[in-house]
Amino acid sequence: MSDHSHDTHAAPTHDAHGSGAHGHDDHGGIGLYVKIFVALCVLTGASFFTYSDAWPWHDKPAVGWAFMMAVSCTKALLVMMFFMHLIWEADWKYVLTIPASFMSLFLVVALIPDVGMRVHGNYGYSHSPSRMEYVGQPSDTEALVHASLPYADGEGHGGAKH
Amino acid sequence: MSHEAHAPAAGHLKLQYQPALPLRNGKLFLWLFLSTEIMFFAGLIGMYIVLRFGATVWPVPHAVHLSEPTGAFNTFVLICSSVTIVLALEAAKKNKSDAAKFWLILTLALGSVFLGVKALEYRAKFAHKIVPTMPGSPIFNIYEKADRYYGSAVKYRAEEILDGVAAEEKALAAKYDAMAAEVADKKLPQAEADERLKAIADERAKETASREEGEDGWKKKKEVVNPLLSEAKTVNQPDILYGLAARIMPMAGARDKRHFLGLNDTYHWLKMPIVVPGGNMWAATYFTLTGFHAIHVIVGLIAFGLMMPMKFTAANCGIIENVGLYWHFVDLVWIFLFPILYLF
Repeated sequence: MSDHSHDTHAAPTHDAHGSGAHGHDDHGGIGLYVKIFVALCVLTGASFFTYSDAWPWHDKPAVGWAFMMAVSCTKALLVMMFFMHLIWEADWKYVLTIPASFMSLFLVVALIPDVGMRVHGNYGYSHSPSRMEYVGQPSDTEALVHASLPYADGEGHGGAKH
Repeated sequence: MSHEAHAPAAGHLKLQYQPALPLRNGKLFLWLFLSTEIMFFAGLIGMYIVLRFGATVWPVPHAVHLSEPTGAFNTFVLICSSVTIVLALEAAKKNKSDAAKFWLILTLALGSVFLGVKALEYRAKFAHKIVPTMPGSPIFNIYEKADRYYGSAVKYRAEEILDGVAAEEKALAAKYDAMAAEVADKKLPQAEADERLKAIADERAKETASREEGEDGWKKKKEVVNPLLSEAKTVNQPDILYGLAARIMPMAGARDKRHFLGLNDTYHWLKMPIVVPGGNMWAATYFTLTGFHAIHVIVGLIAFGLMMPMKFTAANCGIIENVGLYWHFVDLVWIFLFPILYLF
């Protein structure tokens, strides 16, 4: 670190952004934390709403996914900003969080060509024939769901064919 | 370093130490650690998303016995614990050690509730044998489709159960035959020998009856397994094989909230292979993501436990802040895991 350069300069103790145990007294407060808690609960309820029958876009799952991701990002921001105090911290927060976030994004993007597009890609990607022999298809789910109908509500659980 | 700076070498110059970054070393370390953790979990969550959307088929949550309301409850529990740890920090800043400890204990309790619910969820998965296995593994495999491989796995398991019953029957017969032979060898008076043999025969009939009856008795095992065995032998007849798979573990449709019970639920000794299209990959990603998250929860709980004997003041509240940051991060990860695992 650059301790020596600082040693040679007379500078007042930097404490405006909360440098330690005695830096956070002037922000937060129980009232604010309770508000954030309520907001987080409401947002969790909003995510869960996509599961209920009242959600109008069950036939378009992408709408629900986008909605849930937006809700999750909002919740994550609230937790980071207020509970983790980032909103009151100095600019060092960008040094640590932005590169890490970009690396996270790159990690995901790097998986897309070889793994994500293996089946749905338009560039000739596919499972290997030996894998395709085992891999399930949507038609398999349909066949199983159809065959399962007699066993709804625990009926026909007696096992042996009656 | 700082002690040199404070030395009155120049006589009239009073130098002050200023740290390189405006935060404590502990907090800096914690944030550096969290930066690596962000990448760690982003890699895992990214892996899930890429595999999930790259898969030809993926099971809906309740097809793999995942309860959406339970996931929502656990989310609520973790949010509450985030609030309690932040309140512990606030109390410590005001030198209210007892209050800080109260909130800390509450956080520990909420974290334990989360883990308890998670353990119950895992138990349900293990009970249904929804665990990742290698393709072609002979035991407790999740099959992607009801094909000839599935049929032969059911046949294998059915024969294993019937062979087990046959071995038990044979062992029981051998035991009583040996007892009868022992009586015969002793050359007892006829009346006494007859009496003893009758007692042995009675005991044999009694034990045989007790082993045959009941939900896990020999009769029930044969009654349940024999039809499965004969159907499992119908190679390349998809209708029959899917009917077989549905009887063993039925699968609800995407929006079907009815309760489905299969043979594996009714008879816990059955443990037949199951068919869940996309289920093996689902199980692998589910256990990887929630497992690593649960390990982080456990580490947090250990940290809370170690802090219990401490007396908290404004001077040492940094430790609550550090552990709190870690705990908020654990909450943050769950905020993303809940929708992608339970609601997508």
